[in-house]
Amino acid sequence: MSAIAVPVAPPDTEKKEKTDPKESHDRGYLVICWNDPVNLMDYVTHVFQKVFGWPKAKARRHMLQVHEAGKSLLARETFEKAEHYVHQLQGYGLHATMEREE
Amino acid sequence: MKFIHSQKPDRVNQPFVFQLSQREKVALLATLKLYPLLDPSYHQLSRNPKVTRKADQEWLEEAMDQQRQDHKRKLAQLFSNDRRFFKDGKDDLYLTLTGEQTEWMLRVLNEIRVGGWVRLGRPEMEAARKMNLTDAQARLFTVMELSGYFESALLEAFA
Repeated sequence: MSAIAVPVAPPDTEKKEKTDPKESHDRGYLVICWNDPVNLMDYVTHVFQKVFGWPKAKARRHMLQVHEAGKSLLARETFEKAEHYVHQLQGYGLHATMEREE
Repeated sequence: MKFIHSQKPDRVNQPFVFQLSQREKVALLATLKLYPLLDPSYHQLSRNPKVTRKADQEWLEEAMDQQRQDHKRKLAQLFSNDRRFFKDGKDDLYLTLTGEQTEWMLRVLNEIRVGGWVRLGRPEMEAARKMNLTDAQARLFTVMELSGYFESALLEAFA
């Protein structure tokens, strides 16, 4: 499987130092879903629809990106919201993590 | 097992009906009995340990554990008696589930599938099919395949 990097847009504003990321309004946390050989493609599409409320076409597009590129950037959020999404996605058994936008 | 219909077009509140054979019923119940197969430590909040704190990781594991207890309780309630499956006079059985029940059963089956895969050493599926499996591994692989089969049937209801 080819490893294609997820396009990451540069931050709009300069980031400020925060002691507690949960109190930050910084939307520099990326929710990423990683490919694995076990979750069914239709299931992944279904989960994206449920968690993000996306229409099927958009959910399927991200599912295919996970499958073909190895990962897909699903959301760019604050720490708290990104954490919430990761909990949701992992609750469905998907391999999703939150990463810091560099 | 196959999705037959939802009784009314409003699929949010109306139950889904699935048709299955006696053997499929036995296989479904045997598969569900294995839940949970995943260890809480499977869940990782981030690939980069600097992104999150230990407490955040622990919270994720606790949340997943709590969800498992909840699903386990719901499973026990759902199949507490044999009346969940209706017979229509022929050989086939009918299983009726609400949308919510279908949704969490899908999650349970998927977790069983992922749990089996993790216990097998996270192989590529095609490679696993060609592996020389021990009896225990073969059972896990069968469980994975069965979970996937039942998941596909449940997903039909949302298609």
